[in-house]
Formats: sequence, C-alpha cells, structure tokens
Amino acid sequence: MKKIQATPMIKENNRKFTNVILKNLSQPATLVSGILLLLIAFCAIFAPLIAPTNPYDLAVVSIMDGRLAPGETMFDGTVAWLGTDGAGRDVLSAIIYGLRTSLTVAVCSALIALTIGLLVGMTAAFFGGRVDAFLMRIVDIQLSFPAILVALVLLALLGKGIDKVIIALAIVQWAIYARTVRASAIVERRKEYIEAANCLGLSSFRIIWKHLLPNSISPLIVLATLQTAHSISIEATLSFLGVGVPITEPSLGSLIANGFDYILSGAYWITFFPGIMLLATVAAINIFGDHLRVLLNPRISK
Amino acid sequence: MLTFAIKRIMQSVVVLFVMSLIVFSMVNLIGDPVDMLVNPESLPEEIDRVRQDFGLDQPVHIQYWKFLAGAMSGDLGNSFIFGRPALTLIIERFPATLELATSALIIAIIVGLPLGIYAGLNPDGWGARIIMGGSVLGISIPTFWLGLMMIIVFSVLLGWLPVSGRGETANFLGIESSIFTLDGLRHLIMPAFNLALFKISVVIRLARAGVEEVMALDFIKFARARGLSSQRIVRSHLLPNILIPIITVLAIEFGTLIAFATVTESVFAWPGLGKLVIDAIVNLDRPIVVAYLLFVVTLFLVLNLIVDIIYAALDPRVRLQGDDL
Repeated sequence: MKKIQATPMIKENNRKFTNVILKNLSQPATLVSGILLLLIAFCAIFAPLIAPTNPYDLAVVSIMDGRLAPGETMFDGTVAWLGTDGAGRDVLSAIIYGLRTSLTVAVCSALIALTIGLLVGMTAAFFGGRVDAFLMRIVDIQLSFPAILVALVLLALLGKGIDKVIIALAIVQWAIYARTVRASAIVERRKEYIEAANCLGLSSFRIIWKHLLPNSISPLIVLATLQTAHSISIEATLSFLGVGVPITEPSLGSLIANGFDYILSGAYWITFFPGIMLLATVAAINIFGDHLRVLLNPRISK
Repeated sequence: MLTFAIKRIMQSVVVLFVMSLIVFSMVNLIGDPVDMLVNPESLPEEIDRVRQDFGLDQPVHIQYWKFLAGAMSGDLGNSFIFGRPALTLIIERFPATLELATSALIIAIIVGLPLGIYAGLNPDGWGARIIMGGSVLGISIPTFWLGLMMIIVFSVLLGWLPVSGRGETANFLGIESSIFTLDGLRHLIMPAFNLALFKISVVIRLARAGVEEVMALDFIKFARARGLSSQRIVRSHLLPNILIPIITVLAIEFGTLIAFATVTESVFAWPGLGKLVIDAIVNLDRPIVVAYLLFVVTLFLVLNLIVDIIYAALDPRVRLQGDDL
C-alpha cells in the first residue's frame, strides 16, 4: 500500500529526466560539450594506458629532455607533442595524469559536500521553525564569505595534501547544496503526497528518504554539475598558489604553477597547454550544466 | 529599523567572536607553537623558558583570553619574518589591494554594461551570441592562467607592459596611488583587467537579464507608443531600472574582488594584502595569517552589515522577515 503511493511519482520523474537528456543531446553545443566531457573523463580514468610516458617514473624521466619545444623528439625516441617541462617530463602525459588528480579532488569533494548539504537541507526543510532558522543562518554566514578565501584559510591551517584539499572544498561547498535542497524540499513538503504519507503514520526518516528526496533531486543535479566546474577551478587556483595538492601528485593547477618559472624565458608550452585543458574542462561542464538547467526548469523550457 | 540594525550588529559581533575562537583553536591546538619558535636542538630547560615567556604553559582558556584581550587592543603579535606587528603590516598593504579591486570594479562596469545591454536588446543577433559565448568563457577561464597568458603576450612577446610590481605612486588629495602616474598606470592595467574579467562576465549576464525583463514591461511599451526614440528609451527608461540591481550585486561582490585579488597579486607580484598572506602561508608566518583572517572577516562582516541595512531601509519586507530570529 505504502509502496504504491510512492512509486508512480518517482517513475514519472525518471521518465521526464530521460526525455530531457534526449532532448538536450540534440542541441549542438550540448552535444559537443557532452562528448568532450566523456572524453575527458575517459582520459582521466585510463590515464596510465593513454599517456605516452609515465611522467612520475623517475627511471624514465631524464633531465636531458628538459624544455623541449612541442613536436621535438625525446631522448628515447618518443615524440613530445606538447613539449617537455624543465625536468624533462612529457607535458601531454603530465596533463593526462594531472586531469586525473583534478577530477578526483572535484568529484570526491562534491560527493561529500552533497551528502552534508542533503542532510542539513532536508533536516531544515522537514523540521522547519527554529531548527530551520538556525541552520539557514549558518548557511547564510558561510556563503557571505567567498569560496576561494575560505578554502585558502582552511588549507593555511590544515597544511598541504590531496585529502586536505578535498576536505577544504567540501567545507566550502556544503552550504550551497544545503540551501538548494532546502528550497526545493520546502516546495515539495507542502504537496499532498507528503500529507498522505504523514497520515499513513510513516516515520520522519522514511518520509524524507523515500518521498521528499527523490522528488526534490533535479535542481541538485544541475547544481552538482556547475559546482564541479567551480571546484576544479578553485583547486587549480589553490595548487597554483602553492597551498593545494603536493608537488608529488600534481594537478592541472600545479602544472601551470610549475611552468610559471619558465614563461619569461619563452617556454610558453609548459603553462599554456595545461591551462587550455583546464579551460576546456571547466567550460564544457559549465555549458553542459547551463543547458541542463534550462531544460530541467519547467518554467524556462516551456 | 533601529532594532533591526542593532540585531544585525549583535549578530556580526557573535560571528566575529566565534571566528576568533575557531582561528585561535586551529592555530594553537593543532601542533605546538613552541616547536616553531625554538631551535629543535635546544635544551629542555630552554624550551620550558620559551613556553613560559609566551604564556603557553597556562590553561587554554586563559591563553584564549589573553589573545582576545590583545586582539581588542590591536595587538595580534609580531610577524616571525618581518619582526614587526602583524596588524601594521596588513594595514600598510591594504591600499594597494583596494586600488586594484576598485580599478577592476570600474573596468567591469565600463566594459560589461554596454555589452550586456547590447546583447539584451538584440538577443537573436550574432553580436549577442558572441558576447554571451564570451561571457561563458570569461566565467570558465581560470584567472591565474589568464594572467600568465597576458604576461606572455603583452610583456614577453610584445614587450608593451611591465611584468610585475606596482610602479611609481603619487600623492593626490592625500591618496597615495599608482593611478596618478603613467608608470603606475602601465603597471596597473594588466592586473586590473585580469581581476575584472570574471566580473565583466557577471555584469554582462546581469545587464542582459535586466534588459530582457524591463523591455517587456508596460512602461516601455507606453514610451514606444509616445514615439520616443530607441536611444532615449534606453537612456532614460531602461538604464535607471537595470542599474540599481547591478550596482547592488556589485557592492556585495566587492568583497570577492578583494578575495580574488590574492590570486592576481601572486601572478603579477602586486605588493598587496593577498601577496603578503600567500607568502606568510608558505613561510609559516602564523601571526600574519591570523591577523589577515581577522581583518578580512571584519571587513566582510562590515560590508554585509552595510548592504543588509541599506536593503532593510529600502525594502520593508526584509525588515519584517528579520524579526523571526
């Protein structure tokens, strides 16, 4: 009986979502950015298989190959299509490995932030009153400080490391998720099916988990997409400033920082190509997210 | 109105207090500060003496009380590197950052507003598409990387502009700034544009959205019906109506400009607050980090307070909502 109440609502939402994705993919900008995203994700996951050399294998990297221009041949006969850096690492391989670090940090922090945001937002929306006012005030205060500043300060106090960057980015982002979850859950809460679930005497936990959550998830998908782009950018900035990921596991940001020392001597490729990759990744996610927002919002898509 | 303002001020004081507690505990409870102050090979007696000198042998709540009492009188300790009061260093560097952020804000309005209005008035044209595409790019492009590319193009390849520093400053009406010398301007232009780019995109988007909203309203139709020229409609009917929200958003975002200046300052070696704090983080100069934190938190609280109070003064709904808490 209870199940029959819940299932149709979610199914309908799912079908709507699939339709939206299909409709979305027929637009050229979205199609291109979507394919680019898949490619980037593929490269990041299979980095060791795709990269021409392993840039962190000290046995292979030779200082003799230092600062080769794009297209020149390295000592062992491999062509460095995007040149090599000061220590003789192939820039293309470093970018592919760097992409992996950048995406790992962004996705992990997004998942942690999303979880905290969901818990806080749902609690605020469901209980309302003083709980809601208190939680949302904390969110307001947190959001009144720019993300980059909060992350910078946290890392100044926590120290370097991938895990610490993930923690800092999760702390920076949870508030925006909490606010969005609360906003959409409050709208859903007033609807009749929640009233019906309440009448059936279901527990608060069950109503939140099985009824409220699945129906207020679509704005979250858009937000999570755009936030991932944002956190890739923040992580790169932090690593560039020297407070992000350690030099032993460089992300795109630390690769760019590494090339900073060479730009005055004309070796532009060490900073240029990682930056292009960063820009392409962030722009592709932003464009995809923007279209997703337009199409998932019934008011705009009609 | 007065009760609202007092409530907000009280709230800001509470936030500042909580922040000081968080900063203090993170700095003093994670790791022993004595380890950073003494030579690792010193004798145990010497370490004990340093511990006593800095009051670190006392209970935590007394230490916090002393820190708070010091902070109240503007004493946040001396920088380990410069050997001078941290707060003085912060205040010395602030004008350079303020100058950079203000220039960026002005550039963002001058460049972004006309482009956004154009895109809003001709939403289907090629011009609008290029402008809006450009604004997505502007939001996606990493500020620090763009800064490096600007250096490569304008300094290394073309040799037009200096790579780093603030250049000559001059005093005009009591304000010391590089805006008043040619050399200063040459140094300022790249960092200011670099910092402004993200905000230009924001202004373009806000202006376009504002134009689309306002142009559909009745009073624009009436103005058309009265036979006014398009130019006149834009200038005296459209502009005043879209400008208020844009200015408000920018006022709130001014704080983020100061935060992002950290990045731009590091790229262009601009001798401002951000450069100071990044160097302090790298060199583990904790007093500077703490002073910067409290300074910026205070700055943000004051900015938000002003914006909130102006909002409340303009819009009674905000005031009434605030009474819930």
